[in-house]
Amino acid sequence: MALLVDKHRPRSLDQLTYHKDLSERLRSLAQSGDFPHLLVYGPSGAGKKTRIVATLKELYGPGVEKIKIDSRVFQTTSNRKLEFNIVASVYHLEITPSDVGNYDRVVVQDLLKEVAQTQQVDQSAKQRFKVVVINEADHLTRDAQAALRRTMEKYSPNLRLILLANSTANIIAPIRSRTLLVRVAAPTEGEICEALERSAGKEGWAVAKELNARIARESERNLRRALLMFEAVHAQNEKVSDKTPIPPPDWEALIGQVAKEMIEERSPARILQVRAKLYDLLTHCIPPTTILKTLTFKLIPQVDDALKAEVIKWSAFYEHRIRMGSKVIFHLEAFVAKFMRIVEEHLMNMDF
Amino acid sequence: MPADIRSFFGGKTNTPIREKESKKEEDSKKKRSKSRKIIDDSDDDEPAPPSKRATPKRAPPKNAVKKESPKGEETSTADYFAMSSKAKPKPAKSTPTKPKAVEPIESNGRSSARKKTTASYSQPKDDDDFAFLDDDEDAGDDIFAADVKKNGKHKDDAYVEVDSDDEPLPKPKKTSTKSKSVTNKKNEDVDMKEVGDDDFVVPDDSDDMMDIDKPVTKSGSKKRKSVDLESDEDKDDITPAAKSSKSKSAKQPPAKKPRAPKKNEPESSAVRAILDNIPTVRPPTPPPQDPDHKFDWRKAGAGGGNAGPPPAAGSKEIPVGEENCLVGLTFVFTGLLETLSREEGQELVKRYGGKVTGSPSSKTSFVVLGTDAGPSKLRKISDLKIKTINEDGLLALIRTMPANGGDGKAAEKNLEKKKAELEKIKKEAEEMEREEKSKALEAKKAEKERRRLAAEKGIAPPPPTIRQPDPSSQLWTSKYAPTSMNQICGNKGQVEKIQNWLKGWAKAHKYGFAMKGPEGLGGYRAIIVHGPPGIGKTTAAHLAAKLAGYDVLESNASDTRSKKMVESGLNEVLNNNSLLGYFAGDGKKVDEHKKKIVLIMDEVDGMSAGDRGGVGALAKVCKKTDIPLILICNDRKLPKMKPFDHVTLDVPFRRPTVEQVRSRIATICHREGLKLPPNVIDALIEGSNKDIRQIINMISTAKLDQTAMDFDKGKSMTKAWEKHVVLKPWDLCQKLLGGGMFAPASKATLNDKIELYFNDHEFSYLMVQENFLKTKPSLIGQLNGKEANLKALQLADQAAESISDGDLVDRMIHGSQQQWSLMPTHAVFSTVRPASYVAGLVQSQIAFTSWLGNNSKMNKLLRYVKEIQSHMRLRSSGDRHEIRQQYLPVLWTRMIKRLEMEGKDSVDEVIDLMDSYFLTKDDFDYMMELGLGPQDQENVRLETQTKSAFTRLYNARTHPLPFMKASNVVAPAKMTKEVPDLEEAMEEEDDEIAVEPKEEDDDETDLKKDKYIKQPKVKKQAAERKAAPRKASKTKAKNDDEDDEDDGSEDVKPKKAAKPRGRPAGAKGKGKK
Repeated sequence: MALLVDKHRPRSLDQLTYHKDLSERLRSLAQSGDFPHLLVYGPSGAGKKTRIVATLKELYGPGVEKIKIDSRVFQTTSNRKLEFNIVASVYHLEITPSDVGNYDRVVVQDLLKEVAQTQQVDQSAKQRFKVVVINEADHLTRDAQAALRRTMEKYSPNLRLILLANSTANIIAPIRSRTLLVRVAAPTEGEICEALERSAGKEGWAVAKELNARIARESERNLRRALLMFEAVHAQNEKVSDKTPIPPPDWEALIGQVAKEMIEERSPARILQVRAKLYDLLTHCIPPTTILKTLTFKLIPQVDDALKAEVIKWSAFYEHRIRMGSKVIFHLEAFVAKFMRIVEEHLMNMDF
Repeated sequence: MPADIRSFFGGKTNTPIREKESKKEEDSKKKRSKSRKIIDDSDDDEPAPPSKRATPKRAPPKNAVKKESPKGEETSTADYFAMSSKAKPKPAKSTPTKPKAVEPIESNGRSSARKKTTASYSQPKDDDDFAFLDDDEDAGDDIFAADVKKNGKHKDDAYVEVDSDDEPLPKPKKTSTKSKSVTNKKNEDVDMKEVGDDDFVVPDDSDDMMDIDKPVTKSGSKKRKSVDLESDEDKDDITPAAKSSKSKSAKQPPAKKPRAPKKNEPESSAVRAILDNIPTVRPPTPPPQDPDHKFDWRKAGAGGGNAGPPPAAGSKEIPVGEENCLVGLTFVFTGLLETLSREEGQELVKRYGGKVTGSPSSKTSFVVLGTDAGPSKLRKISDLKIKTINEDGLLALIRTMPANGGDGKAAEKNLEKKKAELEKIKKEAEEMEREEKSKALEAKKAEKERRRLAAEKGIAPPPPTIRQPDPSSQLWTSKYAPTSMNQICGNKGQVEKIQNWLKGWAKAHKYGFAMKGPEGLGGYRAIIVHGPPGIGKTTAAHLAAKLAGYDVLESNASDTRSKKMVESGLNEVLNNNSLLGYFAGDGKKVDEHKKKIVLIMDEVDGMSAGDRGGVGALAKVCKKTDIPLILICNDRKLPKMKPFDHVTLDVPFRRPTVEQVRSRIATICHREGLKLPPNVIDALIEGSNKDIRQIINMISTAKLDQTAMDFDKGKSMTKAWEKHVVLKPWDLCQKLLGGGMFAPASKATLNDKIELYFNDHEFSYLMVQENFLKTKPSLIGQLNGKEANLKALQLADQAAESISDGDLVDRMIHGSQQQWSLMPTHAVFSTVRPASYVAGLVQSQIAFTSWLGNNSKMNKLLRYVKEIQSHMRLRSSGDRHEIRQQYLPVLWTRMIKRLEMEGKDSVDEVIDLMDSYFLTKDDFDYMMELGLGPQDQENVRLETQTKSAFTRLYNARTHPLPFMKASNVVAPAKMTKEVPDLEEAMEEEDDEIAVEPKEEDDDETDLKKDKYIKQPKVKKQAAERKAAPRKASKTKAKNDDEDDEDDGSEDVKPKKAAKPRGRPAGAKGKGKK
């Protein structure tokens, strides 16, 4: 009953449909007996995690698929208790240190040491080492990354790390130099369409090629999103055709509304209304940068060509500030005010 | 006409009676005061417009006639009263012209008038009649004449009283001033003739008379009072005097010009000219009163919409006027002035000695009118015919009026008043000195006596015992603490109440406090005195106790007063008598009455954490105490003062009025040789919010390095001493955005503005951010339409950008860098600068910052997302952003939307979907809450039937749980069934559930905490227990079939209580069956 994305997820390297050469390389790595630390990076929805799981299966056999969630409590130096979830099988651990925010260093230090100091319990295991998969490695703080460095070398007999990241930009150089970098590129639109068709085939759904192409385009080459959109379209329509509209996710619909309001009227009172909606988006856990980006791209088609560059410029400016600052609404609001001002000034100039 | 006539007759009839009475019963003040009142009323009526208009020349002659006739009798009055004053008046009168007539009325006339009136009241009538006959042409004349007569009479009455009062009073100065004024008046009379239009003269007369009447009578009556008391009621006297002078001036406004002539002084012409030249403004007609009009507290709260900054602030130069040039004038401000804010205008008037009142009355000299004046005020203005000026008028007034109000009448009165005041102050000071001396003397005597006794007994004189502290070394607050009832400033009634209560306490105690007595004083064993600090609560309590003959035991916040201490400590005290009733120091007599004790518990609301239970214990003591108990606190309404609610008698103390404090302060200043003009004293009193203690401390400090203080110094001093009130975020925000701080005229420095931020640095910038878009910026100026909107947007953008800058600074402060020295920078960027752009009129209620609420909501929802993600983790690989942005919308349509559309038929499938992702019922609710825009929770209409079916079904089934989270322990109530054996069960389950080989393993190396294990036990139903074994066997069978791979993990499992897993398995098994 699960959603398509998860139901039809490939389980082994063989089943992966694209980046065949990459799959081959991973397979040979896994069989070589000398498995390196990996840093797998690529945009979300490209299939990083799926590949990792498949590789692990290649390493250890089906045992890795018996996973469970383990809840651990760590204590920080300031005596704060941190609750932390670990996804684990006998052979590997999967952690997301960014869950605990600034305390990720504690987790990385304690947990990795603990894992590294014990040997593989299962004598019949194919490999002597255990694997720790670190999700969102690019969100690790500097401190945590530094803590990783030594661990990676010192405990290499017992431990291999697989870091997952969206980009290597935030990963410190020492880590990059200690890992084998594996880039998982986003699938092309064609590959996405292929995947969609395969899923549709498994479900016995009619295939609408045009629609699939549209989904592939809309998904921004994010296979996960494409599959979910695909499912959403089918969930909301008994019969799909090439013309069936793709329902936007709730937050995107709301941002669209915000953009419409900003275009319609430009006044301080309107900024206040927009602020309320922005707060809504933020409280519902939509990341501010996503909001700003989506909003900008919804605004751009609706403004005069002369303004587009400037709008983009300010959008980038405030996105930077969102990252620099702490109270994101201030910057979002400043962008809204700036946009309204620019547009209004432009219109006034045209009038004269 | 008819109305006038009526008043005419009424007035007349009244007056004679009055006069008679007054004559007969000069002693009975009450009656007089009544009569006086009546006069006042008539006065008010008289100035009615018609009479003014009429003012023909003829009237004066009548006056003259009238006066003359009385004058004949004056000789007797002259004998009767002070000679000096009369002597002059008479000559003046003798001059036949109208002006003269005026004079007598005013000054000397009074004394004689009384008698006249009785005798003459018939005469005037005759005159009137006569006049009537003569002047058929104009009926108004007659009326006017009548008025005049009446006035004259009233006046006379008043004067009589005054004189008689004055006589007993040893006040040479007063009389002298009067005489002076008389001479002046003479001169003026002449002037008047020369200057005056006749038209004006007539009304003047009437006005003058009226005016004089009132003030004089009042002051007279008061004097009498003071005489009776023999103590100095200076304060009271002064205030009425002040009022009287004002009233005088107030009257004039209707006919502005008259007021100058009134004064009848050489300079009056000048003053009059000035007053004439002040441009008046026609007040807009007040809107008709709307009976349905509802009082809008919001508007009222914001100062009626006129509290904002003036539109053109600072565009006019504020002139520097002569000192005290507005003395004796009373102003009322209404509406929004052009360049001055309300406060500035009022301060300006006060600086020059004028008085500002809140609403116009007959005593108001000028109404300073702005735009949007209050309708009720306008109505009053038109009713009372008060002269209205605008801001320019006020400035012109300041620019042109001579120092001390010239020698205008008001000023003169003021002078007189001042003198009387000074006199009293001197007297008080003397008395104080005397008291001090006698005390010293007494002490000396006692000392001597002691020595003598010692000598007699042949013992060496004991060393001088505790010496009376040298008064000069005492704090002024204790040095000048009141020693008698009449020295207390304000709250006299309350102090008397305390005194009466104390006096009646013994008796009440005898009756077991069953007899309440007239004021309910007999019903309480204890009283609680409450009021703001510095108004003399403790002093009053001590004084009342002293006066009632009690010995005082005091306990205050410096003593620990916990429950235990109160109970044990007080119980000892409660049954005791004062030792002073039995013994006395050497050379002193034992005072038998001094056995009584009163316990004063000061600062009861200061009983805090350290005094646990103290309040309750004290309240208990209050119920059974055998000695009177006086509790003192600042805030009676605090919840912790609740225990005293029915146990004690409430005696609220209020802040004294300025008048009540003024003379006391003036006395002290005089005594200490410090020169403070009254307006400075007033400013000090107002500035300190009538905190007597603080004022005394302030002048005590001032005395150290100066002997005089002017207005500005006083102001700056009160400012420096201002109790630092931490502003609430709302007030802060209002001040920044709407307070005119950024107006060009504002004197607020950057530091002042930054200071505002620091009043509450955690909220100020958030409040500004919340509200900065709700103003109408004054920088928009006169633009309108689209341009205004553009300007508003530009300003909003600048402000928003600055706030954004501020956030970066904030990050440096609160982030890892912790650069707290950047706080002022943050203040400027986040608060001051944005406010500088958008400051103006705040157009709606200042709202509390929504950032905090939204932030905590975000954290809550973030927790939900995390929870959901951690549940889904075994199935999906996305991080929480992907879950939120990509999975949730789809899941929402697959679950919530489906339930909404398809009703309960879909429940089963929905639950299946949830189980496949390990989502719990809580997650379902979270998902509802996480919906946004089109998926907003508000828009979801789940049928109750569907909902209940969903709940029922969900509860009936068992659900797989990947694990249990510590924080989540409560949620999975359903899963309780399995016990240890489940483990095997689950494995088979896994196979069944998951199409894919993703099975969950329970091989945790560490034992789960006990809480997990316990969980099942708590809620298990017996039935399920039974089910478990069956399942177990089944699962075992399956296990055998299972792959080898599992072995390893299985081995580990038995040790761990793999409850979570077990449950899913169990659930499935059940479902299958």
